[in-house]
Amino acid sequence: MSEPVLTEDQRDALQEVANLAMGQAATRLARLLDSFIELSVPRVRVVAVSEAAQALREMTGIQDPVSAVRQGFRSDIKGEALVICRSDSVEDLCALVSDPYSRSAYESVSQKELMFDVANVLTGACVSCILDQLGRTPVFSAPGLLGDALTLDEVFQPGVLQWEVALLVEVNFTLEDQSFRAHLVMLMAEESIRHMNDALDALLSSL
Amino acid sequence: MSLPIVIADDSLLARKVLTKALPADWDVEVSYASNGREALALYRQGKASVMFLDLTMPDMNGYQVLEALQHEDLNTFVIVVSADIQPMAQSRVRALGAAAFVAKPVTPEAVLPILKEYGLYV
Repeated sequence: MSEPVLTEDQRDALQEVANLAMGQAATRLARLLDSFIELSVPRVRVVAVSEAAQALREMTGIQDPVSAVRQGFRSDIKGEALVICRSDSVEDLCALVSDPYSRSAYESVSQKELMFDVANVLTGACVSCILDQLGRTPVFSAPGLLGDALTLDEVFQPGVLQWEVALLVEVNFTLEDQSFRAHLVMLMAEESIRHMNDALDALLSSL
Repeated sequence: MSLPIVIADDSLLARKVLTKALPADWDVEVSYASNGREALALYRQGKASVMFLDLTMPDMNGYQVLEALQHEDLNTFVIVVSADIQPMAQSRVRALGAAAFVAKPVTPEAVLPILKEYGLYV
């Protein structure tokens, strides 16, 4: 399969749409972690799923094991969102937020809980906001942990995820002095990417 | 004489949305910048009586532009336009001398009261 192509205007529009979505996500994440979040410009890329592991490695430099949470979304643009973080960065984040969490009923927050919280906020805010700007209201299925110490190749192994196309959105959050990077990947069927491109064109021509 | 204004955003879509959100009969001469460095250069050429400034841009972000402007005579009204709506982002840009803060996506209803408040549009 050849790499699905966005025109330069579509890529710019999608990047700005992602930028707005990240603003929403950061506000919610800042509340969750009780910390100011610095945002950088999101980078977006569309690749075939078979190329996704390699493309994500190039974008992020990740060689280490990762944690990944998956969550399905449905509208006429449908697919599955993956939130991917380096496993040891989840550990760091856990240490950073252990104080506020220790006052709660839980003894200490587990890495799995925290990863779910972060993934939930990112997927909810980013995917909803992106689709909302394209005039869609998605329905979400329950999130599931794909694994907490996977290689990127294992995340995207054939047969596990049924989608053809991956939209990679690099979501780069920095918390105070600590850097915490999370990567959001939206996996979709080719048909959904076509719907998305049409929606981006409609958005651009409305201006 | 038309009021010189600068719209600084790295996204073409965002520049278009903002341009459309300005009053149609506002007598302005618009210059566009796609990064902070260009925005600052336009300011130094006297093209920015008003500057609409995005925060997340490559090659000098909005915070860095505000800091640089503080070392000049700050003879401009900076209206920060950002998707980053954390309260601390707003207080940070105000501390750096921004006149106002508008959340993206920008609407005419959000821009108009600010322009009127500062007497930039009557």
